[in-house]
Amino acid sequence: MFSLCNSCPIVSKIRTVIIVTALLICTAFLSQPLETRVWQEVDSQQWRGTIKVVEDTLGQGLTVGILGGFRAILADLAWLQLSTVWANEDRVKLSAMIRLVTTLDPRPEFFWINAARMVAYDVPAWRIRKSGGYNALSDIQKSAIDEEQASQAFEILKRGINFHPNTARLPMEIGQIYMNRLQNDALAAKWFYEASKFPDAPEFVVRIYAELLRRQGKLVEAYKYLTQIYPSLINASDYQQSLVLERIQMLEIDLNIMKENRFQATY
Amino acid sequence: MIASLQRIRLIAANTFLEAVRQKFFSALLLISVGLIFSASFFQQFDFGTNELKFIIDFGFGAIFFFGSILAIAVMAQLFFNEIDSRTALTLLSKPVHRSEFLIGKFVGTQFLLLIFVFVLSLVLVAILFWRESILLSRFGNEARLDALLHYYDIFIFAGVQWVRFCVIGAFTLLICSFAKTYVYTLVTSLFVLIVCQLQYIAHEMYAQMDIGPVRLLVQLVSWTFPNFQLFNVGDQLVLVGSSSLSNAAIIHIIGYGCIYVITYIFLAYNNFRRREI
Amino acid sequence: MNDTAIQIKGITKDFISGFRGVKLRAIEDIHLEVANNEIYGLLGPNGSGKSTTIKIVLGLLRASKGTCHIYGQPSHAMSVRKSIGYLPEAPYFHSYLSGYELVRYYARICGLDRKIVNQRVDDSIELVGMQEAKNRLVGTYSKGMLQRIGLAQALVHDPKLVILDEPTAGVDPMGAEAVADIIRTLKDRGKTVLICSHLLGQIEDLCDRVAILHRGQLIRSGRVDDLLQQTDRESYIVKNFNADGRVAMKKVIEEQGGRLTNIEKPRRSLNELFLKEVELSESTHLKKGNKETK
Repeated sequence: MFSLCNSCPIVSKIRTVIIVTALLICTAFLSQPLETRVWQEVDSQQWRGTIKVVEDTLGQGLTVGILGGFRAILADLAWLQLSTVWANEDRVKLSAMIRLVTTLDPRPEFFWINAARMVAYDVPAWRIRKSGGYNALSDIQKSAIDEEQASQAFEILKRGINFHPNTARLPMEIGQIYMNRLQNDALAAKWFYEASKFPDAPEFVVRIYAELLRRQGKLVEAYKYLTQIYPSLINASDYQQSLVLERIQMLEIDLNIMKENRFQATY
Repeated sequence: MIASLQRIRLIAANTFLEAVRQKFFSALLLISVGLIFSASFFQQFDFGTNELKFIIDFGFGAIFFFGSILAIAVMAQLFFNEIDSRTALTLLSKPVHRSEFLIGKFVGTQFLLLIFVFVLSLVLVAILFWRESILLSRFGNEARLDALLHYYDIFIFAGVQWVRFCVIGAFTLLICSFAKTYVYTLVTSLFVLIVCQLQYIAHEMYAQMDIGPVRLLVQLVSWTFPNFQLFNVGDQLVLVGSSSLSNAAIIHIIGYGCIYVITYIFLAYNNFRRREI
Repeated sequence: MNDTAIQIKGITKDFISGFRGVKLRAIEDIHLEVANNEIYGLLGPNGSGKSTTIKIVLGLLRASKGTCHIYGQPSHAMSVRKSIGYLPEAPYFHSYLSGYELVRYYARICGLDRKIVNQRVDDSIELVGMQEAKNRLVGTYSKGMLQRIGLAQALVHDPKLVILDEPTAGVDPMGAEAVADIIRTLKDRGKTVLICSHLLGQIEDLCDRVAILHRGQLIRSGRVDDLLQQTDRESYIVKNFNADGRVAMKKVIEEQGGRLTNIEKPRRSLNELFLKEVELSESTHLKKGNKETK
């Protein structure tokens, strides 16, 4: 019986497949400690497409990008395609393309910031226009659209922060959307404050944060913040130093601080 | 043992000589070098990656993409050349073990790939050095420090890629050992390469699935193919500012590749020793 | 020393094809013995099982049944192959190597010592008469030259047993004669030669013994003379014989109980004629050339 099975090619082929698979599984177990150890170090730093993105990119002939090469150029070409989608005001496709571009190459901050701006500033305008124009919608309806689009933009920017945790540009962008689009000074202040902690934060971030505090009526907090930050501006431009000092002096007037108690600039 | 190593060396040297004379190799090498050179031109399309990062991405892309094609095509072509033209018959009628034949073919092909990877890395380093010098002279201290690179690590990355090509070559050899035609080997090997590149997805999938036959199948896929994402460590190795990779991790990656190379060659031998030539 | 070079006992080889496992029997119950220092011809039409038998002898195929021993050792043992030299049918070699490099490559593969390898390569190239073309690339060789360089690679490690698969197929009569001369030299040097061919005329004069295969079965074997001689007949070749003599001769034959069945003029073979004419033309050409040089 056994020899009969041996001579039967189907049995022999199945047996070979089983042996090969078993050996490969053994190899996987043997190599697993190495894989686990390296994966911990590599995984967080590495570009990897999700199943969704893999499907998207395969559909668009970007297999090469998915397979690990030429990601920058393919993402750039996809961004050009995204610009066409944006010009056609196709918001559904725009979201898909943003996801594709930022997944293909999450390294340029440009993609995250500009994608978020499109979603937060342009898409509400398209939606309102399609619904009959600014006069046809109530303020509640318009602000609902703004809220919805802003939250999508925040989602994009927060994903971007995972890839760029050491830059002021992305938190600052969230702050700007809160400030300009949603007129939410409290949350805008929170994000500008976050942005101000990074060494690459522009000089105006400090002033905007203080101004947002002032707008909320938090004059004491704004004054405290600026007086605390001023000594650290020793290497900042003269323009920045004089502007901050000017704001401090304005707040001292608003807060009726006695002349002898006023802030003394050390430089 | 020494005699066996000597035979492997001879077969490998002859395989290398045959491979290096192929027009396919020269063409692919020229295309890859040309592509790396043209990275500066393609940078016109770029939207924010700094120039050096862009060139690195392009260079690494060329090394991986063309290297993988070369690893599969050359291995399959040289193997079937020997079988179809019956030079294997002459060789195996000599005191040559079939395992020596396979290992010789493998070593010869991988030596070719080592040269391919080294040449491309050298070209990449030269172009990066040239562009970096220009950027530094143009912007001086204003040039962003994170744009600077670990040049030495480009060669370490190239070495890691070569280990990946060794794994690709070894599974191609395994497919050659039972396949009847060159085309079948080529198509199947490319398919396996894609599966290996996406293997981590199977990992993630079965972790989220309920226990059942489908999960078992997905798990089986993730177990039977190596995870090629483990070799994508270019940014970590080369860019200053990225969290760098420890030496231990690099050794682990090489060890991981070696385990699969040995397994695939053993399986290839197991098939080939019964093959009628 | 073992007097039997090849001993095949009852080998059968089945090839299994397709997923359903259809058996194709290539050879069946072959018994064969090749003695030391003998030229043995394995004859048969295409597809008769000659190459399969040779591959089993070389250890490249395993018999489904039966045993095959070379100098007392199983044919699939790797050590046996050191004593075998093999020339495959219509040999193809790496075209980018020169004839010398090719023979040297196989010499090194066979484990010849570096000290003697060059001498051995030179000797075997000289034996096959390829000294003049040894530095040319194999890709530029004619069929006959390929056959001869193939012989050189088969002989370079000085094997005791030489197996030649269709050594004269596709080669012109001069090339075939040159190969035949080399085979005779090999016998003189004490080698055993197994020739596999379907060109019977070319190996008739060469082989000591032959075996005929047909549809995978051994249908006849023995000494060439024994197989070809018609023992109940005799022929006399007579010069300057007239008609009266012929009548008298016939009478004598009949008186002695014999019967004259046929009278014919002896013929040379076309092969012989061709070789003689080419040789003549070659020597004339050479003389003419010498005169012109003077």
